[in-house]
This record gives sequence, structure tokens and C-alpha cells, in this order.
Amino acid sequence: MRRVLTIAVTVWRELLRRKEIYVLLIMLAAMLYALLSVNIFGLGTTARYIMDLGLLMACFFTLVLTVTISSRQLPDEEKMGTIYPLLAKPLTRVELLLGKWLGAWSIISCASAVFYLLVALVVRAYGGSFEWRTLAQGWVVHLSGLGALAAMGIAFSTRMTYGAAASMSYVVIASSFCMLPRIPEMLVGLKGARATVLSAVYYLFPHFELFDMRLRIVHEWGMVPWTSFTILLSYGAVLTALFLFVSWLGYRRKHFQRGAAL
Amino acid sequence: MSIAIDIHDLSVRFRERGHTVEALCGVTLSVNAGEVFGFLGPNGSGKTTAILVLLGFVMPDEGEARILGENVRNPIARERIGYLPEKAETYPFLTGRELLRMAGGLFKMPRAALKKRIEELLDQVYLSEAADRRIATYSRGMLQRIGLAQALINDPDLLVLDEPTGGMDSLGRMEIRKIIAALRARGKTVFFSSHELSEVELVCDHIAIIKDGRIAARGAVSELVPAAESLEQYFLRTVMRSGTRTGGAV
Repeated sequence: MRRVLTIAVTVWRELLRRKEIYVLLIMLAAMLYALLSVNIFGLGTTARYIMDLGLLMACFFTLVLTVTISSRQLPDEEKMGTIYPLLAKPLTRVELLLGKWLGAWSIISCASAVFYLLVALVVRAYGGSFEWRTLAQGWVVHLSGLGALAAMGIAFSTRMTYGAAASMSYVVIASSFCMLPRIPEMLVGLKGARATVLSAVYYLFPHFELFDMRLRIVHEWGMVPWTSFTILLSYGAVLTALFLFVSWLGYRRKHFQRGAAL
Repeated sequence: MSIAIDIHDLSVRFRERGHTVEALCGVTLSVNAGEVFGFLGPNGSGKTTAILVLLGFVMPDEGEARILGENVRNPIARERIGYLPEKAETYPFLTGRELLRMAGGLFKMPRAALKKRIEELLDQVYLSEAADRRIATYSRGMLQRIGLAQALINDPDLLVLDEPTGGMDSLGRMEIRKIIAALRARGKTVFFSSHELSEVELVCDHIAIIKDGRIAARGAVSELVPAAESLEQYFLRTVMRSGTRTGGAV
């Protein structure tokens, strides 16, 4: 465990010193301020509108952060050449992958807590109200999804460059938000091979859209029942474990040398 | 005398642009514990590939490699070795002290012992004053020295150095030589590849010359190199002809 934590601490140090998180936090604050200053569609500064846009930006920024951070961890090590002295130590590849995932996920979790808190404070400052418990539940569910997303980014990057892994992650995220929720409607009245393929896509693709509780928070629909909440967290944990397992399969015998070994 | 490195009939092949390249072909080599062993060869001869096999980064297609009695695939084998790669690139966002703390953490060293060891090493590589500066601000020589310090963090029984003096000034080279001499005095094994034959001549007991993935010569420096010749002359003569020469006899 100490080796995993050592790698995770190094990921933290890197991310804090690269200052990307601060930049996104400043951007979020600036965008919230800008949105409050302009009276879009005559909505003025109604708290619900601020909450909606604020949470949307918080989710967007954390998604970008997660994909960026997780997809570059392993390719950066290889590009810098630091993978050689690292793996020459008694560090197994599983420990390296777990350390990278833990470091990336834990710092993104902290960043998302700050983002949510900022949005909540701004909403409060403008006299808005919301259910703290629903917001907290939404944040925990969001973290579960980010854990799976971080593991997916790492899984892609075991065999791809940073750019390719990040692009693949964005394609999967976009598909799960834009395409997957439409599939049940498309399946109505559809039979044969097309229906089978669509059903397979629906059930095999990761459903990241399930980890988005913004509407429930913004429109004050109340908390998710605890059973559904537990199932959702379990789904996140299973996805994370699955992607980490795929990462291990992709990385366990990877050769670090010019060209590929036969 | 125990054997620190034992390579037997090792072959590694790579595919590059549709062609198969034999990086190593039937390499057999052994290094006794306590030796300072120079691994020499022209560019692309297979030196780095052999080192990468020893560290478990590249799996051999044929043959076997053992370090300190353990198969290189076993992570336990890496508990007692230190490695400095050719380009000692390291994390620019860490300070020198943080890098050493990280390296010690990977060996699960007790915190108090690690703290003491870090101070010793920083002193040994003349980086005590720069220890709390970010590595991004280090010069080439300082990078090499902090890389060497992280390789020594676990007080390894076997130190593998890939071009340790590359890009260093005379003072830096002398410091590396001193460190190698100190390790030898303590009975440690040092295996290093180098182009700098004058360095090899100064510090090595034994050498092997590799050419096109095959061992062209190996043995004690005093036995291999004729008295009237320098190591550089011998090296050039060896890489320009084929065949294996062992301990002075072809």
C-alpha cells in the first residue's frame, strides 16, 4: 500500500504544481461572475439559473480535468523516461496503475468539492436555496462516475498516446450522454439484428450519464432513494474495477523499447 | 565468489518498420559480485537492450537472465539493485529531496532511516544546498547526480549505470568515479555501459564488448588489452572485426 500511496502523492505534487486546477477554479469563478452580470433571457440572477449553469460548468470542468489528468499519467512517464528508474524499483505494474488512479481520482475529487462549494456559496449569496443533502448525494455520485472515468482514461493510455486516449475518452463520454439515453426510444418497434446490436451497445457501453444528478439538485426533486444510490455507487465501483483490470491487461507485459518486441 | 549478473544465451528481436531486428543474439555473460564491469559497444550494438532485459523492461525471446540469483522477471530481484538510465530525466516538478523521498518510499524504507539516508546521499553527490530546489532548475550534471542518488537510495548490492558520465564535465566525471570507487571498496557490484573509454579504463576490472548484438570480447582489462595498446585502440580493433575473444584468447 505504501508504494501505491507514494505514487499517488507524486501525482498530487505534479498536479498542484502545474496549477491547472487553480486555473479551472478561477475560470469557473470568472464565468459565474460573468453569467451573473448579464441578464440572459431576462432570467436575471435567479438562484436556480445560477445553480444550473454553475453545476453544468463544475461537471464540465471536472470531466475535462479527469480525462486530461488520467490519460496523460502513463504516456508522460514514458515520454519523460521516468518510467525506467520507476519500474527498476520493486514496484509492480499493478501498484503503479493503482497509484496513478488513486492520485488522479483523489485530487479530482477535492477539486470537484471546491467547485460544488463555490457554486453553492454563490447560490446562497444570491438568496437561493437548495437541499444540501441532495447536493451532497449528487457530489458523491459524481465522484463515483469520475473514478470510473479516471480508470477508463488510464486504461486507454496503457496502449495509446495521450492525445488518442483523451480523444477516446471524450468519444465514450459524449456517446453516453448523447446517444445511450436515446437507444430505448430507438428500440421501440425495431426487430432483428439492428435491435440486437443496439441492445448490446446499450448494455455494454458505460453509462456515465447515470452519475449526473444536476436536474435533481437544481429542480429540488429530492434525494435519490438509498437503494438506487447504493446500486449507482456499486455500478461506479464495478466500472472502475473493470477499467483498472483492463489497464493491467494492457500494461502488465508492455515493453518499453523502440519498436515493438515480437 | 557469487555471481551478480548471469546472462545465458539471451536473444531479443524487435520489429521495426516491418523488418525484424536482432537486438541481442545468443549473449552469454556473467559478472562476479564486487566487480566494476564495463559494458562497451558502438551505438546500436545492444547495450541498452541488454540493460533493459536485466531490469525486466524487455522480455527475452530466448535465454535467461538472472540478477543476484533471481530471475529478472521476479520483482524481488529489483529490491537490491539501483539503476541510473542514460538520460537521467526525472520529475521536474519535484525537488531533489522529494525525489529521493519518493524513491525511498518505493523501497518501503522506514521514515527515520530514509531521512538519514537522504541527507547522506545529498552530501555524497554534492547536492545538499540544492536539495530543496525544483529539479527543473538543475543543470545537466546536477540531474545526473540526483539520478545517481535515487539509484543509490536503497544501498544496492548491484548498481546498473547506463552512460553515467554522458554530458558531464571533468569535475562531474571525477565525482562519479569517486562514488564508483567507494562502492567497489564496500564490495558492491557496478555494471555500467559507456562510450567513454578513458572512464572505463580508470574504473573497470572487467569489460565486455558487444557488437551487433553479440559479445565480441570479454574478460579482465589487464588480460584483454595488450600493454602497448590503449583500451580505445583495442576497442576500435575489436569492433572492426568479428568473432568472440574471451580473457585474451580468441
